[in-house]
Amino acid sequence: MAVSTNVNSPQTDVGLAAELGRRFRSNIQTYTIILALVAIWILFAVLTNGAFFSAQNVSNLFRQMTVTSFLAIGMVFVIVTGNIDLSVGKLAGFVSVVAAYFQANVWYQLIPNMPLVAAMLSVIIGVGVGIIWGVLQGYIIAYLNVPAFIVTLGSMFVLNGAILLVTQGRTIPANQPYFSEIAQGYLPPTAGWAIAAVVVVFLFWNMVRSRQSKRRHGFQLPNIALDIVTTIFYAALVIGYVYWVNQYRGIQTPVLLLAITAAIMAYVSNNTRFGRYAYAIGGNREAARLSGINIRRSIFLIFILMGLLSGIAGIVLASYVGYGTTAAGQGYELDAIASAILGGTSTLGGVGTVFGALIGSLIMASLTTGLQMLNVAPAWQYVVKGGVLVLAVFADVYFKRNR
Amino acid sequence: MSEDIILDIRNVTKRFPGVTALDNVSIQIRRGEIHGLCGENGAGKSTLMKILSGVYPHGEYDGTIIYDGKELKLGVGSIRQARDEGIAIVYQELTLVPNMTVGENVFLGKEPLENGAINWSKLYADTRDILAKYRLDVSPQAVVKYLGVGKMQMVEIAKALSEDAKILILDEPTSALTESEIDKLMTILENLRSHGVTCIYITHKLEEFFRITDSVTVLRDGKMVTTQPTSQLTLEKLVNYMVGREMKERFPRGNRHPGEVIFEVNDLHAVDPNETSHKVLNGVSFNLRRGEILGIAGLMGSGRTELVTTIFGEYGKITSGSIRLEGQELNIHNARDAMRYGISLVPEDRKGQGLVLIQSILKNISLANLDQFSGFMRIDADAELVAATQQARSLAVKAPNLQVRVDSLSGGNQQKVVIAKWLLSDPKILIMDDPTRGIDVGAKYEIYKLMNELAERGVSIIMISSELEEVLGMSDRIMVMHEGRSTRTLNIAEATQERIMALATGIADELTPI
Repeated sequence: MAVSTNVNSPQTDVGLAAELGRRFRSNIQTYTIILALVAIWILFAVLTNGAFFSAQNVSNLFRQMTVTSFLAIGMVFVIVTGNIDLSVGKLAGFVSVVAAYFQANVWYQLIPNMPLVAAMLSVIIGVGVGIIWGVLQGYIIAYLNVPAFIVTLGSMFVLNGAILLVTQGRTIPANQPYFSEIAQGYLPPTAGWAIAAVVVVFLFWNMVRSRQSKRRHGFQLPNIALDIVTTIFYAALVIGYVYWVNQYRGIQTPVLLLAITAAIMAYVSNNTRFGRYAYAIGGNREAARLSGINIRRSIFLIFILMGLLSGIAGIVLASYVGYGTTAAGQGYELDAIASAILGGTSTLGGVGTVFGALIGSLIMASLTTGLQMLNVAPAWQYVVKGGVLVLAVFADVYFKRNR
Repeated sequence: MSEDIILDIRNVTKRFPGVTALDNVSIQIRRGEIHGLCGENGAGKSTLMKILSGVYPHGEYDGTIIYDGKELKLGVGSIRQARDEGIAIVYQELTLVPNMTVGENVFLGKEPLENGAINWSKLYADTRDILAKYRLDVSPQAVVKYLGVGKMQMVEIAKALSEDAKILILDEPTSALTESEIDKLMTILENLRSHGVTCIYITHKLEEFFRITDSVTVLRDGKMVTTQPTSQLTLEKLVNYMVGREMKERFPRGNRHPGEVIFEVNDLHAVDPNETSHKVLNGVSFNLRRGEILGIAGLMGSGRTELVTTIFGEYGKITSGSIRLEGQELNIHNARDAMRYGISLVPEDRKGQGLVLIQSILKNISLANLDQFSGFMRIDADAELVAATQQARSLAVKAPNLQVRVDSLSGGNQQKVVIAKWLLSDPKILIMDDPTRGIDVGAKYEIYKLMNELAERGVSIIMISSELEEVLGMSDRIMVMHEGRSTRTLNIAEATQERIMALATGIADELTPI
């Protein structure tokens, strides 16, 4: 996972504890949500006598969060600009049935005995469908001035119909070789360790580079001990994760895919004009406009991005489930929105992080998994999830007021 | 004590973590007087108002407040309670619901009921009575969003008075008003005084204290400096009390030598892009020299802001006329085009148009100029930080670091951030729309000095201002607008308040010698 390179400007060099305290206070929202996640994990671990933390369960938990996580990452950008996308669940569902349709019916006749090529073509088609839909929605929203809520609500109905048209009410198998690997594959342990090594080296390199650059520009450096402790902490998380999933079957391909996507998107959100403009538009549309930002173009691009991510989510969904079904993606848009909001994205726009959305998504997946392990009826799972969402936002509001 | 004291603030202290906002402040306010409250931003005026209005309830501050003979003890969440006690505030930012009528706004939250339903005729009749009693010239049925700022202010006052306010606190009521609207407000306040309403009057425009108040209290750095009858004060004394030092001149004179004409606007006509039948500019011509400060004066609604936003490509649709920069005709469709030609605009509404309040100083400064730091994809964060730091330092933005959110800064510092943002593109022409609105004397002075420095470096500045003294104090030449037209450009030597007002109100047209 990428650590955002937050360039802090000069500040007095204080002790490690004081510096930690300051960081905690300035990022209270992020830490609150991480603490909530840890609390939930501990609770489930106790209630399941440790089974929650078994290698197999941890592996499945992370695999399970991937589909909504792709959607939640895109949703952060959409909500940050002050928009909403209600169609992402159905779009992912539509992509999944289209991919399944091609897998089951088309490639089989066109290019028999070429399962790898078939799988690659399915991915291209699926992602393409997502992008095209994003272009369409983005155009209507940004250039024809129809509110996103309405466009995507309508689009949700349209896609629901489209899913039924493609499936004809039946379930389409999508469990062909190679295609299944996308969401069900695992990396061999050595490959896992290689990735871990690369990430750890990157983390330290990034730390050193950032310090060098600050020194070069004459800014006061953050406490070196703290920098090292932080970096070691992240490195330990990566190593610990790889070690643990290797105890089961290795790094899960969809999780790797998600990690790469999230790293790219976190980078984009902070270090590109595209990302900065999104936050500025959500923070103050008028100021953004007078700053020469092309608002229509930004919004248009963001819905295309959302389409792309929905496309990826749809492919992973089809591969994960192994089928394209009429109910594919049902309600995922709500999970994605909830994840983004749990992760600190403000419905007022202008605030939100990719990292936060991932934690939010992980909380949602943890609740599902944990409650299932405890044999809680699905009905009550919904009740708990809804309660947690409202409680989390309340806690945030409460802490902000009493800071 | 022979005097009738309605509000006796005794030794009030209010601390925030790290700051003492009010330090042992004592003020006595007599019944029926208009009491001016004066001080730079951060002097403690707002904190005091928040205590009086119940935002900070009793117990969150030290000291006592005797109101109308008994101690004022407002509970937590007691803004309502303060109102019930008869303390009403008219805030600087208007708090009306734009889509509702005047009557609905005045009675918002306390609509007269009849069998559980709103009694509309009583509501409008009562509104009409209040408006008539205090001679507020607004129709009860008018929808607020179609009113001008001046009338909205009247509605705010009516809303406050509908609660039978004994004390009316006015927080910078004139910051958005034109001269004629201010005159009207002054009449209204005199009328209130004759009805026995006590007013606490806060403003940054010091002249107003002398126009309307009976006595003035000066706060500085959270401490009470003095309370004196207005008759014993002078402008110079007041400024000295406020800043705690001698300020020789309010408007620093730079050593400017304007060069050749570089920017020309010729007979510009434009219409409202959303309503093309509505003409916003009706023939504007002026020119601007290199290194010159050109003031644009005119009443609110005379088209000043419309003119500069049209030049900037973000408002009016140009129907005829031309804009030339260094001889080249410009074709500007949006802010990006304008910036490419080297034109920057510090917009009128700092919070609404200039800043992304929830973002850091750094991100605000760099927002309009990210292209400078961007390669194919990524933003060079170091280059961005270096450039922004340099701007922030040269403008003396006061903040612990550039990661601080701009909504935590004072108005003057916020304005410096806006200016820093627009200087980052190294403009040839800097348009400043009311650059010192709502900021304190000290910060104003710094902005004036900065304008002089820029002009000396060869930047040409167009400054819109609602304060005639500022226009007269800062400009090399003054262009006066009236009803969407430019009437005349006056050299500073021939400009006086009277001449400008005559041109701005259309009393003297450009053919009449003045």
